[in-house]
Amino acid sequence: MNVQAASPASLPQIRICSIRMMKPETCETLLNKLVEIPGIRRILLHGQNIPKVIPYGPARGMENSTDIKRNITVGTTSCDIRMLVGDIILELEDECIIGVINRICTDFFVKFGFVMQQGIFIKPTMTMFDYAKYGPKPDPELIGMVDPRSKERPVRIIAHEEHEHRMICACENNALEG
Amino acid sequence: MKYTPQYGPGTSIVAENRRRQMNPNIELQKMRKVTDEDIILILGHRAPGEAFKSVHPPIGELPEVDCPMRKLVKPTEGALHGDRVRYVQFADSMFNAPSQPYQRTYAEMYRFRGIDPGTLSGRQIVECRERDLEKYCSTLIETEMFDPARVSLRGATVHGHSLRLSEDGMQFDALQRCIMGEDGRVKYVKDQIGVPLDRQVDVGKPLDDDWLREHTTMFHSLVGTPLREDPEYIEYLQRIHTLRTKYGFMPREDKK
Repeated sequence: MNVQAASPASLPQIRICSIRMMKPETCETLLNKLVEIPGIRRILLHGQNIPKVIPYGPARGMENSTDIKRNITVGTTSCDIRMLVGDIILELEDECIIGVINRICTDFFVKFGFVMQQGIFIKPTMTMFDYAKYGPKPDPELIGMVDPRSKERPVRIIAHEEHEHRMICACENNALEG
Repeated sequence: MKYTPQYGPGTSIVAENRRRQMNPNIELQKMRKVTDEDIILILGHRAPGEAFKSVHPPIGELPEVDCPMRKLVKPTEGALHGDRVRYVQFADSMFNAPSQPYQRTYAEMYRFRGIDPGTLSGRQIVECRERDLEKYCSTLIETEMFDPARVSLRGATVHGHSLRLSEDGMQFDALQRCIMGEDGRVKYVKDQIGVPLDRQVDVGKPLDDDWLREHTTMFHSLVGTPLREDPEYIEYLQRIHTLRTKYGFMPREDKK
């Protein structure tokens, strides 16, 4: 299997963890503030899935009607989200914008706090699952950006003309029984 | 000498709360009023006003059986009428919910009769005769064992007890069975398995964080009382752990 890096390992990544899980509206507002910053290469949203249909029990298969917003608009692109967002992972061109992001988050999270961490949070290399799904030569930007169990493709969001490669993918968590 | 149960070890407030919930001689503090009809709606086993379905004739109409157990055990109201066995399941958030699965089972076994609890890490189910279930549910929902935001009734799709709370302080629920209204009160819009209700069921305002911290039965090092602050509890747990580990080797405690 040809294992290739999705992106240079030197690119810094940060994770924004809010103390409370964010509703799609809140996440949308924050993302729209973040995409204004030049130098964010990729955005990954991680959270808990709100299924379309009831997955277990006697009501299995019924529509799961909730008032949680299903669609958000970031930049000029709208995408389905279907989850409460716990973490926002950002891949940056340069570390120098971390301070700007921190300031935006500090101003944004007023009702509850947040934690910002720096490290490697997006899977850097192909796994067997990616190989099976995308073949031997996948788009390197897809690696680590999509839940292998999800049947949907990631959404490419263009916020600025000069930064075309923005992606958001809804990670699905199907482990609903605990 | 008359035996007096201790219910549990520990010197912390959490240990005290556990003992209070378990002790059937202590009346649990009533925190809210939820009508019988509302409880029937949330449970979703029968429509309000509908007769109880039965699986056998009332015990009084059954032929006499020469059984020593029948002479010994007085049937519960549900068993007496031959009701079906139904269930209720609770999921308790790890963020200082007033009760938790193991605690629920202990408390229910001390307080209720004719029940069959099932205990898991994040949820606790209890099965019993339908008539008894509704009566027990009113105790479990109206008293200090329940908090509208941190505890919820979930028949299926229970995931959420170990997750962060959502923005409004509610435990995560993939089916959003209960919602926080604009008036700050929690309302059930679906029954415990996720079928939408004809009308909302109000279960009151969430209890405040300070109250929950003082009344929780859960140790939590970040948001509540850490276990390490209760050395008596740790000693008890270590003793149980040691005896369980040595069980196959005929454990014998050293005489002090």
